[in-house]
Amino acid sequence: MIALAVALLIAVALGMAFADQGPASVLRHLYLIPTLWAALARGAIGGGLVGTLAGLLHAPVALPAVERDGLTSQTLDGLLSLALPIVAGLLVGRLVDGSRARAARLAAVLAIQRRLDGPEPLDDKLIGVARELCAALRARRLALMVGADVRTALLASVPVGTLVDTDSAAAFALATGQRVSTVDLAADPRLLTEEAAGPTPLRALALPLVSGAGVVGVMAVEWAGELSRATRAAAEELALHVGLAVENARLTLRQHHFAEELAEKVSAATARLRELDQAKTEFLSVVSHELRTPLTALQGFSELLLRSALAPDRARRCLVYLHTEACTLGRIVGELLDLSRIEAGRPIELRPEPVDLAELIERNLEIFAAEHREHRFRWTAGGPGVALHADPDALDRMVKNLLSNAVKYSPRGGRVCVSACPAADRPGMIELAVEDDGVGIPADQLSRIFDKYVRVPHPETAAARGLGLGLSLVKALAEAHGGRVEVESLPGKGSRFRLLLPEADRDF
Amino acid sequence: MLLLSAPFDPGALAPARRPPRAYAQVGGAVAPLIVAGLGSAWVGAFPTLGPALAGGAVHGGLLALGWLLATDAAAGWTGPVVRLVATLILVSVTARLHPLGALAFLLVPAALLLEGRRDPRLRAIGLGGARPAHALAGLAAGAFLGAHLLATASRTFGYRLHAGDLSAYLAALAYDVGANALTAEWVFRGAVFSLLWRRWAFWPAALLATALALLRYLLDPALPHAVEARAGAVFYLGLVGLIGCALRAWSGSLLPGYLAALAFFAAYRMFGS
Repeated sequence: MIALAVALLIAVALGMAFADQGPASVLRHLYLIPTLWAALARGAIGGGLVGTLAGLLHAPVALPAVERDGLTSQTLDGLLSLALPIVAGLLVGRLVDGSRARAARLAAVLAIQRRLDGPEPLDDKLIGVARELCAALRARRLALMVGADVRTALLASVPVGTLVDTDSAAAFALATGQRVSTVDLAADPRLLTEEAAGPTPLRALALPLVSGAGVVGVMAVEWAGELSRATRAAAEELALHVGLAVENARLTLRQHHFAEELAEKVSAATARLRELDQAKTEFLSVVSHELRTPLTALQGFSELLLRSALAPDRARRCLVYLHTEACTLGRIVGELLDLSRIEAGRPIELRPEPVDLAELIERNLEIFAAEHREHRFRWTAGGPGVALHADPDALDRMVKNLLSNAVKYSPRGGRVCVSACPAADRPGMIELAVEDDGVGIPADQLSRIFDKYVRVPHPETAAARGLGLGLSLVKALAEAHGGRVEVESLPGKGSRFRLLLPEADRDF
Repeated sequence: MLLLSAPFDPGALAPARRPPRAYAQVGGAVAPLIVAGLGSAWVGAFPTLGPALAGGAVHGGLLALGWLLATDAAAGWTGPVVRLVATLILVSVTARLHPLGALAFLLVPAALLLEGRRDPRLRAIGLGGARPAHALAGLAAGAFLGAHLLATASRTFGYRLHAGDLSAYLAALAYDVGANALTAEWVFRGAVFSLLWRRWAFWPAALLATALALLRYLLDPALPHAVEARAGAVFYLGLVGLIGCALRAWSGSLLPGYLAALAFFAAYRMFGS
């Protein structure tokens, strides 16, 4: 382009030489055409260069007239024609440079905004923003550091890859919010570097990125050679835009993340509510079934006693059945009452007294061994003195529930081991452990098994009866005693429940 | 990127430039030679060798000044500076002793390159090669200015070209290669402009460096005393200086500006020296 403008200048100069009309030749005005063209195309440098060339080409025509005729209106006109292309080229070029810089700045702001608007993570967006800024500022190198701490801040640089020192100028700008400006990086005594100075000075700026939330990062820019006031102002303006845009992007991402999290929580809560609703429905059905079984027995045996004159031993057997089923009914009603009390937030009423744990366990094991002959029960006492201060009924229910659970989830029979001893890892607590080699519990269900109405589905235990309340009652009763219940389980290998209760000398 | 990778001490101050002892030493060594040379010529003792000695000492002193400015007179300056000053004096005297002696000026750039290559700090003032495009641009700019000078001076003031004495023309060219253009480029576009440009923007640095270069030419007794010649010298040497600074900044090397100055002086010498 410049070459074409120069060629045009030469053509004008040759035209003037051939026309031989001296400095007053009308052709002299044609020098302005390539000058303005160069200024419009290449700014102040192009306009100034071509304008100067035009002036120089016109000088051999204008100056001899001045020497010959002195300062007349014609020779002054010649001198004006000599100076005009230079001035016009520079002025128009500067205006063009200014408007181009403003347009580039605006385009960069829009491009940065577009880049930061997307849903990608911020560090992915920053590299694009750094590229836009580097191009808009015509910088040699540019880096964006976003974050409050230099050690954890996100970093994007053009060209990619730069070391970061925690005591660097960028870190200083980030920590203090002050800009750092240097006219020559290699010669600046504040920068401790062994890098030798090159032939071109490296100007640099570290500008804090400021938003309403304070300093959110730093923009570090490096130029080789000139750093004009306009470029510096552009860098400062763009840093301001980037600070606000980064903060907006962070807020948008946070909002997006929050919305996703909220949607997940709502979805989980909805699923849990559905599950709970279904569990309650199942519970009602199970409760009805559980209640009907002893009621049917009570009805049947009482009718038999009323209608038939039975032999005394047979009548006695019927009465024993009636008593057993009444006890079952009572246990179910007791559990339901406990449940309603827990749900209502009322404390469980306990009547603590010294309890012989070994005797209680042995009694229950005898009952379970009699009912479940396919299971082998093993009892290991932890030595004499394993005594508890607990509510005997509550303790009995906890033991029964744990044993019932062990039996229920070992459908093919198996070993059920019960032990009681002082807890090695919890001083002042007694540990009662019930271990089975049944179907076990998947890891993802372990956190739920102490919830109400929860029954872990398993094809082998689908026929097992239960309200899904046993373990939640055990947990509530243990906590009411100041203890707790824990579980370890492996699917297919079995489960181990560990009931921890305070020793006899503890008050509760 | 040094803003991120180099440790930063906001309170650190620039080390003071070295005391001017080295400059005084060089001045103290060169000034007596200049005085002796000019004095001997003035009294008529050595009318040929006296000015040669003075001229060699001036240009040697300029090379030394450039060296000291570029290296901040750091240790190790003595050897190269003494050798360069001695070379210039010897070459200058040789040029006066024999018609072909001026060719010895061609050795000076080589000597400067050899000495300068040993000190990496001199890269910072542009001692190094340039791209062919930059070198060609320098040649073109100098040639254009030279042609313009010939056209303007001949049309405006009626100056005529001297085509007869080729050996004198070549001797003048050799002087430009080894002393005139070389020392101007080395000191004013190299040391002074580079030093100023590291602190200021281009225009102030270029204008001050060019003003100092103009001062050096205006003090040169070889410059014609006619007013139009001095005005022309200010105009054209000012342009040569600014173009030299622009080429130095653009290319990072002194070579394009040096070639521009050589091309310009090659045209200028056609008026006769």
